[in-house]
Amino acid sequence: MTAIPTDLGGRAPPVRAPSRVRALRPPYPVRLLRRAIPIGVGVAVGGLGVYVIVGLLGFYGAGDLRSLTAFVVAAAMGAGLSVVVVSARWFDPRWAGRLLTWKVWRSVLMGVLAGYGGVVFLIGLGRLGFYRLAFAESQVPGLLSGFTTTLEVVTVIVPLGFLIGFFVGWARTTGSLFLRGFGAYYVDFFRSMPPIALIFFASLVGALSLKNSGIDPYTSYQITLWLGVIALAMHTGAYQAEIMRAGILSVPAGQTEAADAVGISRVRSMFFVTLPQAFRISLPPLGNEFSSVIKDTSLLFVIGWYDLSGVAFAQSSTAGVPPTSYLYGSLVIWIVAAMLYFVVTYIVTRTVRVVEDMFKVPGLEAARQ
Amino acid sequence: MSHLSARGLTKSFGSLQVLKGVDLDIELGEALCIIGPSGSGKSTLLRCLNLLIIPDLGEVYLDNVKLTNPKIRPEWVRQQIGMVFQSFNLFTHLNATKNVMLGLRHAKKVSRAKAYEKAVFELNRVGLGDKLDAFPAQLSGGQQQRVAIARALAMDPKVILFDEPTSALDPESIHEVLEVMAQLAKERMTMAVVTHEMGFAREVADQVVFFDAGKILESGTPNDIFDRPKSERTRAFMDKILR
Repeated sequence: MTAIPTDLGGRAPPVRAPSRVRALRPPYPVRLLRRAIPIGVGVAVGGLGVYVIVGLLGFYGAGDLRSLTAFVVAAAMGAGLSVVVVSARWFDPRWAGRLLTWKVWRSVLMGVLAGYGGVVFLIGLGRLGFYRLAFAESQVPGLLSGFTTTLEVVTVIVPLGFLIGFFVGWARTTGSLFLRGFGAYYVDFFRSMPPIALIFFASLVGALSLKNSGIDPYTSYQITLWLGVIALAMHTGAYQAEIMRAGILSVPAGQTEAADAVGISRVRSMFFVTLPQAFRISLPPLGNEFSSVIKDTSLLFVIGWYDLSGVAFAQSSTAGVPPTSYLYGSLVIWIVAAMLYFVVTYIVTRTVRVVEDMFKVPGLEAARQ
Repeated sequence: MSHLSARGLTKSFGSLQVLKGVDLDIELGEALCIIGPSGSGKSTLLRCLNLLIIPDLGEVYLDNVKLTNPKIRPEWVRQQIGMVFQSFNLFTHLNATKNVMLGLRHAKKVSRAKAYEKAVFELNRVGLGDKLDAFPAQLSGGQQQRVAIARALAMDPKVILFDEPTSALDPESIHEVLEVMAQLAKERMTMAVVTHEMGFAREVADQVVFFDAGKILESGTPNDIFDRPKSERTRAFMDKILR
C-alpha cells in the first residue's frame, strides 16, 4: 500500500454554523426560475434555429414558413433537440458529440439510400417492361411528399412521446402521492384506448370547439390535424412511461442511498445516478416502442393527414378502380410505401442502438452479446 | 460538547420501535466502534446521525450546530458526515475516479479539474492509484470498498460513518479494508464504525459502545467492554464471541 500522507485527514477545523446561502434552500419560485430560464432559452433558440433552417431548406415550401404547421413542427423539433442536448450535457458533455458519430450518419445514409434506391429499382423494373412506366412515374411525387409528411410527424411524435413517457414514468416513481396517482391514471387511461379512437376524439373535440371561435377554417383544420398527432404521442407516452418506470425501479435502492450519503440533491441524483443506469435497461424496449409508434402514424390518415399511408391509400384506391383498373399498380404503391416506412424505422432503431452502446458499462456488458 | 453528539434519538418503523432514546458522544479525532447483535438497530442509529433516516425524536449536534433543525438541509449535513456502506453501493455506471468525483462535482460544485485532482489523490491514499479507470464490476470486493472509502474521504467530512464495512468481504479483503481504516484512525479522523470485527474494535477503537434492542447498554474503552463488561447482557454476548 502506498504511504498515506498524515497531514490531511484528522483534526478538521470545527464546523461553523452554516451560512444562510449555503445551508438554506432558496424559496421554490427562485429555484424554479433558475431551472426554467436555461431550458426556456434552449427551447427558444433551438426552435427558432430549426424553424429557419427548415424554411431555408424548403422542407415545407418557402410559402409555408408562416403557417402554423411549420411553426409547431419547428418549435417541437427545436424543443426536442434542446432537450436532447441539455440532457446529454447533464450526463456528460462529450455525449452530444459522441451521438453524431459516423455510425449514426452511416445508418441515416444507408436508410435514405435504401429508400430512394428502392424507388429507383421499381422505376427500373418499369423501364424493363414489368409494369406501366408512366404509371409508376406518376405515383412517385405523391409518395415522396407523403414520405416527407411522415418524417415531419415522426420528428414530432418520437421526441414528444419520449418526453411524456420520461416525465410520467418518473412521476410514478416519486414519493409524491399526487404525482404517482396522476401517472397511474394517465397510463391506465391512454393504454386502454385504441389509438385510432384517441386520434378521432382529439381532432373531433378540437373541431367542435373551434367551430364558432372565429379562427379561419384553414388554421383550425391544421390545429385539428396536430391534435391527432398529440393524441398519438400521448398514447405512446403511456407505454414509454411504463418502460421508464421499469428502468428506474431496476436501479437498486443502494444507489440512491449512496448519492444521498454524499449530499447530492434528489434531482441531481436522478439525473446522474439513477437515469444513466435506468436507460441501460430501458433503451432496448424504448427502441421497440419508437419503431411501433412510427408505424402507428399510418393511422393519422383517418383524420385527413396526407402522410405516406394517406397518399398510398388514395393513390392505390384510384389505381385499382375504373377507368385505370390497374390492381398490380395498387400493389406496387403499397410495396413502395412499406419500403419507405422501413427507411424511417431503420434510421430510428439504428440511432437507438448507438445510444445503447453509449450506456454500456465495462464489466456489465456480458449479457448484451 | 463533543464533536458529534446525539441526544434522545428515537425512531420507529410502524409499530416496531428501533431506537429507544439513544445518547451518543463522539469526540474530535476519536474512533468509536458500535458492536452488538444483528437487528439491534445499529445501522438505523448510524443513518440517523447523517439524517439518511430522519429520527422521530431527539437531536443530533455537530460542533454545536443542531443538525436536526428543520431549517438545515439534509444534503448539507451529509456533505459534512461521510458514510461507507456494507454493500459498497458504488455507482455501477461510473469508473473509480468518477465515483469519487460525483459528490465533489454535484454536491460541492467543485470544478472538473480540481475534482479530478482530489479523486486521484484520495484513490492513491487508499492504495488504488493503479485502478483509476476501473469500473466497479471490474474490481474485487475489497477494492470496491476502498473506492467507497475514498468517495467518502473526498468530501473532507468532519466524521465518517462505517456501516459494517467488512461484512460482505472475504478474509483477505477484510484485511486490506481494515488496514485503510486503521490508518485513518491513526491520522485521528473522527469515525464511528458499526462492526463485527472484534479484533479491530479492540485494537483501534478509542471508545466501544455495546448496543442492543435499540439502546446503548454499555460504553467505555475497549478493555472495559471486552474484559470487564458490567452488564449481564454484554457479558453474555462477549462470552459467546470471545470463546
